[in-house]
Amino acid sequence: MKDQPNIRILLVDDEETLLEYLSKRLLKQGLTVKATFSGEQAIEAAKDEHFDVAVVDLKMPGMDGVETQKTLKETQPFLQCIVLTGHGSIETALESGQQEAFQYLLKPVDYDNLVTVIQEAYKKKMEIQETKFREQVEEIYRSGLGAHGIRKAISDLRKIYGIA
Amino acid sequence: MESHSSLQAELKRVKQELASHKIELHQTRGYLQCILQNSEDMIFATDVDGMLVSFSMGGGKALGYSWEDVAGMRVNDLAEDPVSFEQFMTTSSQDGSTVQLDLAFRHKEGGTVYCDVSMINLTNREGQRVGTVGVCRDITLWKKIQEDLVRIDRLAEIGRIAAGVAHEINNPLAVIGEASGWAGVVVGEAKGLSPEDRQELEKAAKEISHQTKRCRNITHQLLDFARDSAPAKTEFDVHDLLKQSISLLKPDLKHTPIEIDLKFMPEPLRISSDPRLLEQVFVNFITNAIYAVREKGKGRIEIRTAKTDSDVEITFKDNGIGIPAENQQKIFELFYSTKPPGKGTGLGLPICRNIVKKLGGIISFDSKPGVGTSFTVRIPVS
Ligand SMILES: Nc1ncnc2c1ncn2[C@@H]1O[C@H](COP(=O)(O)OP(=O)(O)O)[C@@H](O)[C@H]1O
Ligand SMILES: [Mg+2]
Repeated sequence: MKDQPNIRILLVDDEETLLEYLSKRLLKQGLTVKATFSGEQAIEAAKDEHFDVAVVDLKMPGMDGVETQKTLKETQPFLQCIVLTGHGSIETALESGQQEAFQYLLKPVDYDNLVTVIQEAYKKKMEIQETKFREQVEEIYRSGLGAHGIRKAISDLRKIYGIA
Repeated sequence: MESHSSLQAELKRVKQELASHKIELHQTRGYLQCILQNSEDMIFATDVDGMLVSFSMGGGKALGYSWEDVAGMRVNDLAEDPVSFEQFMTTSSQDGSTVQLDLAFRHKEGGTVYCDVSMINLTNREGQRVGTVGVCRDITLWKKIQEDLVRIDRLAEIGRIAAGVAHEINNPLAVIGEASGWAGVVVGEAKGLSPEDRQELEKAAKEISHQTKRCRNITHQLLDFARDSAPAKTEFDVHDLLKQSISLLKPDLKHTPIEIDLKFMPEPLRISSDPRLLEQVFVNFITNAIYAVREKGKGRIEIRTAKTDSDVEITFKDNGIGIPAENQQKIFELFYSTKPPGKGTGLGLPICRNIVKKLGGIISFDSKPGVGTSFTVRIPVS
């Protein structure tokens, strides 16, 4: 896939074999993938790396999916989360994390469908992020900083937004 | 002279007494007749040999026989097990009366009729036994309800177990699906494979993926069915939900000459109900309609909405293959499907029915083989 943007994905699921194959396929499609096997690991990974989309299993030992996505969004507010739910747990999921998640998908997910949803989530992330970025850049210009100050402020912003 | 008049008086008195006895007898007979005609119970009388001499209307209703049918029959011939019935009658005649629960009679048309029976000796003025009277209460329906309850209980238990199993199977299923997907990718690019081998392996990997999806559909549907959460009400527009359901089925509609014709009311149809449950219902009806139309080659599906003061009505009408008359009463049965393995689970309509019931609505349908089918869901506005 040539015209595909480089989407950075964070996978979080305690089913390691599943992630192994899922990562391989997504990598092959040209996406950047980081696989983590618990909420705690995911949050650790999100400290040093920026992601566009996280795919999070709802039911995990330790920190569950809802908690994980909340914490992830604290460090990376534009990150879009796709939450995988087993059947029947979708209600609890909807109650506890309605605003947070980009979409809930039933396990086992259909791979093609997952890819489509990832792409949609990425698009949404870029839209929000760009709007916000533009707003803040305008803010900086308006603030009347000198050229040097502006450059520094923008580079700080870039860092925050994970834009290279 | 005096004795004559006293005789006259005596005769008059006897006559009067007789007349009043006659009236009493008449009344008693009327009373008896009334009981025999109107009691729901089966009441019979036999002579000393067990030959039927009277058989009530209730008996006729319960066993399907008229008096003409049974006149001259022995009562134990009506029982499913005449021998043990005979024994029971003998005990009863010795003890004066007996009660037996749950005795089986045979219906004229076949089938078993269960009764609780009490028998009483019929005696004459000298206290000699001249026959037997039996009062039998038909408990067949009651027994059936009890059996149904037990079965429903067992079904519910099976449902819970099945849901648990389906849930557990989902995880390995997901792994199989991903692994086979990956295998397909690798085989597609592997070097050193002969074209035939590559083709074979690709085909095999695809087949595994395909069958995994099939399993997933089953587990999802089963879990849908078993899920028993209370409906979560929100307000939404039925038209939006219908459009959303259709778009979910886009992949199914691709490459098929099926026309979907939306005959919606002009104004939005806002109701307060559970949209996620209702979406399942819509998707199931549309999926079935697509299949029915495709079986025929091509056709159209009409989705129509209407509203009364308290209800909304959504009709899914297709001009597909239709449902043969003899199948029409079975389509809501669990696991009933006429589709080839892999195409049907027989869970769709039972799920629809459960959900619609939960939402306080009803489903009706109408189908002509070869012409088409329409399913109508009617649910309350709130
Ligand atoms: N629109 C329809 N047209 C013709 N037959 C239908 C239609 N809807 C349902 N049926 C019949 O009812 C059966 C049961 O349907 P359903 O419970 O949804 O199970 P499934 O679709 O998995 O077979 C189908 O197999 C089919 O024979
Ligand atoms: Mg169906």
